[in-house]
Amino acid sequence: MLNYVASRVVQTAFVLLVISFIAFLLVANIGDPLAALLSADATVTERAELVARLGLDQPLLARFLHFLGNLLQGDFGLSYRTQDPVSQLILERMPATIELAFVSLLITIAVGVPAGIYCGVNPNSYFGRFIMLISTAGITLPNFVVGLLLIAVFSVQLGLLPSFGRGDVVQIGFWSTGLLSVSGWRAILLPAATLSTFQVAFIIRMLRTQLMEVGQSEHIRFARARGLSEARIWYVYAIKNTLLPVITMLGLQLGNIIAFSVVTENVFAWPGLGSLFLQSIQAADIPVIAIYLIFVGVVFMVINLVVELLYPVVDARVLRRQS
Amino acid sequence: MTTPLLDVRDLTVTINRDGRPITALDKVSFSVNPGEVLGVVGESGAGKSITGAAIIDLLVPPLKRTGGTISLNGDRLDQLSPKEMRRVRGGKIGFIFQDPMTSLNPVITIGRQLCDAIETHLRLGGNETKRRALDWIARVGLPNPDVQFKRYPHQLSGGMRQRIVIALALCANPSLVIADEPTTALDVSVQAHILQLMRDLHRESEVSMMLITHDLGVIAKMADRVAVLYAGRVAEISPVAELFANPSHPYTRGLIRATPMPTADGGVQLDQIPGAMPGLGAVPPGCAFNPRCSRAQSDCRSVVPPLVTQESSAFSCFHPLERDVA
Ligand SMILES: Nc1ncnc2c1ncn2[C@@H]1O[C@H](COP(=O)(O)OP(=O)(O)O)[C@@H](O)[C@H]1O
Ligand SMILES: [Mg+2]
Repeated sequence: MLNYVASRVVQTAFVLLVISFIAFLLVANIGDPLAALLSADATVTERAELVARLGLDQPLLARFLHFLGNLLQGDFGLSYRTQDPVSQLILERMPATIELAFVSLLITIAVGVPAGIYCGVNPNSYFGRFIMLISTAGITLPNFVVGLLLIAVFSVQLGLLPSFGRGDVVQIGFWSTGLLSVSGWRAILLPAATLSTFQVAFIIRMLRTQLMEVGQSEHIRFARARGLSEARIWYVYAIKNTLLPVITMLGLQLGNIIAFSVVTENVFAWPGLGSLFLQSIQAADIPVIAIYLIFVGVVFMVINLVVELLYPVVDARVLRRQS
Repeated sequence: MTTPLLDVRDLTVTINRDGRPITALDKVSFSVNPGEVLGVVGESGAGKSITGAAIIDLLVPPLKRTGGTISLNGDRLDQLSPKEMRRVRGGKIGFIFQDPMTSLNPVITIGRQLCDAIETHLRLGGNETKRRALDWIARVGLPNPDVQFKRYPHQLSGGMRQRIVIALALCANPSLVIADEPTTALDVSVQAHILQLMRDLHRESEVSMMLITHDLGVIAKMADRVAVLYAGRVAEISPVAELFANPSHPYTRGLIRATPMPTADGGVQLDQIPGAMPGLGAVPPGCAFNPRCSRAQSDCRSVVPPLVTQESSAFSCFHPLERDVA
């Protein structure tokens, strides 16, 4: 077990290192700090001084180590666009995105898991087929279309929910939360539902396929031959065999939501990282883009790590495959 | 004449292929007496597994039972509701599956699987249930029951897993156990141990057994009586000694001769039956064995021979082999 944990952590660290290097190359090659920091009439000596101060005359590897050292100390550089520290920009925007991701994950679990189990246990029932039909729509419709549809119905037609912004937020330390006010919850529902449409449909299909497959297996037949109740067979013996892929998917989806909510945030004018990313791209704000990339990498890798560390708890066979 | 524990009459199973029913089991009849081991033997594809599964209504669609009666202790199993059938499965009829690598749930501990089976049929309370589970782990010959109780199937060897499968089939004290090729998937060295275990458990508990196998060697070691299946029909049912000494059906003799057995002079005798068993839907008119049979005559090619009983045995053949008078 200790081996397993150690090997996962080392892998994660290595991948993060690679991502940081790519982000560094981005900053080093595309960004032009001299143009950004020097005035137009700077002298050659001023220029050389700045080059030395920024370490631009050092070999690539040394500069990368320097970059990495700064990262680890929380110095993410300055935004070209606003001249603010990148860390401050990210911190300001992160709570909105993370809260959005978690609410949509909650919706995904609350809706997708029961519906998927129902479809897997009763694949030929009318209701099961109806759910599958709906989920096909959920898979195929692009995110922004779903968002616009929801806005058209719930904001424009029914006037029930706001179509943009976060509502009232409460500041707790550096974290600004929208989950403590009614308007915050009203504001988060539509974008969260939009984000979870695909995830819900995906989880339903995956659970259904998995359960139908497990339902055919020899050990389930043997469980029937022992007279176990259908409820125990499906909800304990079969479901336990589908947990591994479902947890993996949910984890990866959470990473996806946090990292790629760009479109949805844009549709709902959600003040999160996705919007920040779009603004930075428009302004060619390379330091922010680079740090955002690293951030996405960290989110994915950490979630992945947590998921993989959960595996042996769910299915002890994982440890054996390792050795 | 003892009343049989299990009595199967004219069991018919069909499979619907493109709207056309194909017969997989054709009026199969046999019985198992209390305390007896009935061997069911035949080539692969003869319908042995289907017979076993049909008894506890565990046929996989598109297979479907379409006729016949099945009685256990006089109760008609073929008329039970699904709920009543669940009480029979495991509780009155245990089933031992063939492949221990796939028949145990990989993510549930051995102990939990045993406790669930016991709990389902015997309402004992937690402590007693666990005690029984531990007891069964010991009875099937696994060391350190407390350790095994918490283990997952992948932590056990194939032989140990099959022991657990046997424990699972027997732990709710059924009066009959159906074992479908219980040793076929195992290493030869393990096979003998598992057969010995089954024989011991059978002797201790007096459970009746229906032992399905394609291996006459297993039959010779284990069975009291033998039913020979061919292409979904019963060819012959005889006490085991008589079957080997004086088979009535030409197919039985062919099957015995096709099994490598040491002869008196120390050599190995092997005689294959020419041709192959007809597959599903390709059974010829008349006796299913007639194209491969040296004794076949015109009646064999037109009429299906009925199963006729003669003293302790029964066979379905118009021209049975003569009996050597010993
Ligand atoms: N689920 C199924 N669908 C279609 N054919 C089947 C199915 N199960 C068994 N069969 C066919 O029925 C025949 C008898 O099968 P089975 O009882 O498994 O034979 P065996 O005597 O080897 O156990 C075989 O020809 C097999 O191919
Ligand atoms: Mg079989």
